Amino acid sequence: MRKPRRSARFFLYAILPVVAVVSFLVVYPTIRGVIMSFQNYNLYNLRNVHFVGFENYKSVYTDSRFYEDLWNTVLWIAGSVSLQFILGFILALLMWKPFKGRGIYAGLVFYPWALSGFAIGLVWSWLMNGTFGVINDILMRLHLIEYPIHFLSDPKWAMWSVILINVWYGIPFFAIMILAALQSVPSSVVEAAMIDGASSARRLFQIIIPYIKPTILSTLLLRVIWVMNFPDIIYGTTRGGPAGATEILSVYMINVVFYENDYSKAATVGVTILAILITYTLVYIKTTSYEELEL
Amino acid sequence: MKKKWMSFTRYLLLSVYLVFALFPLVWIFLTSIKPPMEVYSFPVKYLPSKPTFQNYHRLFSYAHFGKYFKNSLTVAGISALASTVMASLAGYALARFKNRWVLPIILFLFFAQMIPAYLVMIPQYVMFSKFGMLDKLSSVILIYSGIGSAFSTIMARGFIARIPVELEEAAMIDGCTRLCSLFKVTFPLVLPGLSAVFSFSFVNSWNEIFIASLFLNSDNKMTVPVALYSFISKAGVNWGFLSAGLVVALLPTIIVFAFAQRYIVEGLTKGAMKY
Repeated sequence: MRKPRRSARFFLYAILPVVAVVSFLVVYPTIRGVIMSFQNYNLYNLRNVHFVGFENYKSVYTDSRFYEDLWNTVLWIAGSVSLQFILGFILALLMWKPFKGRGIYAGLVFYPWALSGFAIGLVWSWLMNGTFGVINDILMRLHLIEYPIHFLSDPKWAMWSVILINVWYGIPFFAIMILAALQSVPSSVVEAAMIDGASSARRLFQIIIPYIKPTILSTLLLRVIWVMNFPDIIYGTTRGGPAGATEILSVYMINVVFYENDYSKAATVGVTILAILITYTLVYIKTTSYEELEL
Repeated sequence: MKKKWMSFTRYLLLSVYLVFALFPLVWIFLTSIKPPMEVYSFPVKYLPSKPTFQNYHRLFSYAHFGKYFKNSLTVAGISALASTVMASLAGYALARFKNRWVLPIILFLFFAQMIPAYLVMIPQYVMFSKFGMLDKLSSVILIYSGIGSAFSTIMARGFIARIPVELEEAAMIDGCTRLCSLFKVTFPLVLPGLSAVFSFSFVNSWNEIFIASLFLNSDNKMTVPVALYSFISKAGVNWGFLSAGLVVALLPTIIVFAFAQRYIVEGLTKGAMKY
């Protein structure tokens, strides 16, 4: 029936464009970035680009800024992902049983997910404004605080404030994923547990959570990478400030590009992020089984 | 009694979250239609005494926001279209063919899509500067279609794999070629899925800021996020004005999301690996 030669040619033509653009625009630049991290590539001195060995790495890794940013990254990921997950889980449970208008409700609460993180950062910097911000106004009217809080310009508050914004942004993602998983739990499984007379808390922890555990695990692990590489909200609010309090590694790299023009240094930070990414991914693939990736 | 109490708590919590989710956008809209005096008042004035659209008027007359909006529409539209076309062809091949190249290519795309866009922007910048292609919308279009297409392919493959292959085989027995069965049978069936792929890349390109601000410098080339960025980098932020810009910037993705949410979710929960 089929002509194998023509089939092979069809396969080649169909995959070629994607493989070509991805190689040219993602893979090659990645390799090029690794090379640049071993050169002195400064925008102001392009005539004299040469290899400098591990100089860039030495200067990045001996700077305390790197370790502060690494710690900030850990805080940012741990705070954002855990809260996004817990609140997203609760939201999914609340939405599990059908109610009138659930579809509309889903549309109204899930929308932040499609929005620009940068724009959301700007929106929230207005809400959290230390002088005219509505959040301060509400807290003061409720007599919870006496003086306005400078959420984004006080180093004590800044990291928690950007995490709060990221939680607002990320709850829908977890809720969507977990809700979809919950809806795939066969009703027979739930009913059997009901006949057993299990309390609803026990049903949840002993039957339902184990059932959707693979989804939870892969969603959590993948979200960690995504949040680590999500500088948009911080860029819309603090750009890493005040005094580096919210500078995570990705923001560090972007700040070096935009304000220091030192491309080698930026590439060095980039390669470091990439190394973390690859290590993490390999561990991830080992922890979750191969079939779950649906390859 | 206990049951009633449970459902009351449930609706209460759902309502609280609804307010939490909607409030920031409602607030930014209210700010955008307030007269300047009421934007900057503390204690805060919640509703404008006299709603005004002067911020929107300024946005489109003095600030050329229409131009930026058009640039963003062009960039996001063309790159999403290009990446969807490439992704549906490749996704089809990877879903339907079984040869020794399929798995390596999927793995290649899987790892490529894990590399975040901002991480490769400097080498891209250096590459494009060699070709004299800086400050051009077409460069940004090319980059967006490239970096999005790996994930789009994986997503498209997931949708296509769920269409029964027997339908195509039946068409091919009826004398259709592979290409003909592809366009007459498979693509029409998978159209909702492909529109999700398109929406997803559209939204991502519409929202991208770092590559855009690195590449696009002249005023008439700026996309919407770059323009918003320029509003805040200048000394002193005019919040009423910026709010109007934010409303206009956020509206398109909200609309796209409203239409495509169902399919995007389907694509992400079944057979896709990112986000």
